[in-house]
Amino acid sequence: MAGDGLTVPELDQEKYDADENVKIICLGDSAVGKSKLMERFLMDGFRPQQLSTFALTLYKYTTTVDGKTILVDFWDTAGQERFQSMHASYYHKAHACIMVFDVQRKITYKNLNTWYQELREYRPEIPCIVVANKIDADLKVTQKNFNFAKKLNLPFYFVSAADGTNVVKLFTDAIKLAVSYKQDSQDFMDQVMQELENFELDKKVEEEEEDDLSDKEEYDTHVAKPHIP
Amino acid sequence: MAYHAKKCGIRFQPPAIILIYNEQAKEKDRQRIMPVRNFSKFSDCIGAAEQLKNNPRHKQFLEGVSLQQLVKLYTVLKGHLQGQSLVESLQKIQQETVFDPDENLNKLDDKELKKRKNLMDKLFEKNCKKKDDPEFVYDIEVEFLQDTQLESCGWDDGSDNEF
Repeated sequence: MAGDGLTVPELDQEKYDADENVKIICLGDSAVGKSKLMERFLMDGFRPQQLSTFALTLYKYTTTVDGKTILVDFWDTAGQERFQSMHASYYHKAHACIMVFDVQRKITYKNLNTWYQELREYRPEIPCIVVANKIDADLKVTQKNFNFAKKLNLPFYFVSAADGTNVVKLFTDAIKLAVSYKQDSQDFMDQVMQELENFELDKKVEEEEEDDLSDKEEYDTHVAKPHIP
Repeated sequence: MAYHAKKCGIRFQPPAIILIYNEQAKEKDRQRIMPVRNFSKFSDCIGAAEQLKNNPRHKQFLEGVSLQQLVKLYTVLKGHLQGQSLVESLQKIQQETVFDPDENLNKLDDKELKKRKNLMDKLFEKNCKKKDDPEFVYDIEVEFLQDTQLESCGWDDGSDNEF
């Protein structure tokens, strides 16, 4: 028996197979500003609405990429990062990842390693952007070299959710990356998943996963209404 | 008449907030004793501080004293009434008002995390450009070049396990 919450249309992950839907996940330690970044990007479009008891926040956003309408679901943690690990369903079918740390707190930078490893366990190929947030607290950090992203050859952005620096660019670039990843996905896991979906067996696997979810996690879902700036 | 607050403290017995101030255009410092009444170890420090700050008799003298400082003084008094030493009370206040950047916030419960977030929110609010601000711009792009010429952030050093 699947948990009630999973019958909620907002959490139907099958839809992420449709061309016009992309899923972008946010990762990072507690209080690095993940939700603040979302809210700054969505502005008035941010209208949280409690749907059920899932420990994640969902933000819906509609935009156009190359003349095509794209429906974006941003997934944000709502306290799950407390366990320094996310449930497998959080990564499931994600097309891009925004990984945030706080330039004021070294530990949040060090923990990027853990987040990145977990991300790659589930999604070995999806685009991942590394984000240094709170540069408004000390602009001097932008004159410094942060090696983590460079070493892994990942895009790196200095941003401020407070004054807005590079926030819109970050999200629009993340959407573009997600869309282009989806268009020519070479991801081995995606191919395997596609194969699996041809089998009856798949259904069983999915159901087990859902059971697991409903037993262990308490989810908290807010939905932000679509917004085109 | 303007009063210039110089020092503000608390006396435990009998409990009072004491202010040292001078009147403008006069050299001499004066002391004002404001007795603390109806305050127990169960009282609300923020409420008590607000009440004192808005008290019509004391208001004008306390203009130069922040609400925050008054809250702190009441908190020390409350600690005293609960049997804490002055050192203990001050430590507790310190912990709650100073943010420790090395603390792992992932390990805190909801209540403690909220406290830390509130401290960080002060900076956020200070630097926050609101939508109704005339200078507000939705999309701000600033390019920061990252090349090896730059000084290291100091967080990458160490063993091979680190970045």
